[in-house]
Amino acid sequence: MPLELRILSSKTMSGMAGDFATVDGEIANRGDVAINNVTTYISLVNAETKTPVDLEDWSAEKGLFIGTIDANQTLPLTWKVHFVQSGNYTLSIVANIDGSNIPIISELTYFTVSPKQNLNPGHVLPVALGEPILLILVFLMVKYFRDKTAFNPMSR
Amino acid sequence: MLKMIKHIWLKDIKAEIYTWKSLVWLLVTSIIFSITSYLLLTNKELSLLDQTEMLWLFAKIIIGTILLIIIIDASALISNEFENETMENLFLTPLTTADFVLGKLLTSITIWGISYLISIPYMIVTSSGSGLTYAFMGYVAFFGTLAVLGFTMLIFALSFPYKSMKNTLTTSFVVLLALTIPALFSTTLKNNALAKIFGQINPIDNIFSSLDNVLVDYKTSIGQNLTYIIPVLVFCILMLFALLVSVRIFSRRGILKD
Repeated sequence: MPLELRILSSKTMSGMAGDFATVDGEIANRGDVAINNVTTYISLVNAETKTPVDLEDWSAEKGLFIGTIDANQTLPLTWKVHFVQSGNYTLSIVANIDGSNIPIISELTYFTVSPKQNLNPGHVLPVALGEPILLILVFLMVKYFRDKTAFNPMSR
Repeated sequence: MLKMIKHIWLKDIKAEIYTWKSLVWLLVTSIIFSITSYLLLTNKELSLLDQTEMLWLFAKIIIGTILLIIIIDASALISNEFENETMENLFLTPLTTADFVLGKLLTSITIWGISYLISIPYMIVTSSGSGLTYAFMGYVAFFGTLAVLGFTMLIFALSFPYKSMKNTLTTSFVVLLALTIPALFSTTLKNNALAKIFGQINPIDNIFSSLDNVLVDYKTSIGQNLTYIIPVLVFCILMLFALLVSVRIFSRRGILKD
């Protein structure tokens, strides 16, 4: 098959959980005839557990339907990948062509996602302790004013 | 009409505050949010979660907790009038059933509003630095209001025929569990056709999925969440219809029928 897939962005990427990365690639038809019904996907594998990763939260656009690639045509491919979980991963672009039972695959891109420690980003302790205490004070004030008005009919 | 609605609303709000019923619930809500936010942000294991995942979890906890409290509270709002035999006295005044129901509905919405205000500092502190604070607060407010409206109308629709808090509360809990448990299933368990159809019409499932869409996938516009918003709106319309039918039957039969 004269179809060629390449990843143009860096072969190694790194980031923190929550970050976004852009994977750029291209698909080229090196042959002399057009190829129809081409679909490209990204495939993500956890390099530590050697298992494929469910892309549900990683990328909103999992597959890109290319349709027809004319002879000697090159088309750009772009995926926005959201680093969801820490770990080491390999990513590749796969192309399926209707009528062909052999997929075309690009080289691998390796990326490392480091964990994001959410340790107290907005100083939670004052709110976690302060708000219940504040509410108790408000309730005691409500009780005080209620009792005050209840025992003093002249105030009405 | 507005005067009567205000009268019912004030009567119930005063009852909530002066009997400490709601105040204790509000304090419990605040303590639940304090413990959850503190654990999510400081526990070593939990803090490894991506912040957006954590926000999604916290959004579900906020809506779930407040919805539970509203269901318990709303189950008593109309049923107690029957159980305490105060319904007849109320309808001896120039009060229509519509004024009565709208006043009660406004009470539930007010309790939701106050509970939401309590959750705001927690939402701000947990979403700090994520750039999602406004989306987080906005979508929790939007879906929380719709969920509270839908469930309160269902509870009121049940309260008229049941006339008992115990039965209303039990049925409401069964409905809430029936809608919430499938919404908490993993993606794998939702893969069969029946689960998919149920997931598409289940309001709780749609609320959780939309929050996932907003907070995890950064799809924050209304247009990107319309497929989730529509089923929740349909649920509210259906519950409004159920309430109208229930009120109509009640108005025809009268208070003393049973």
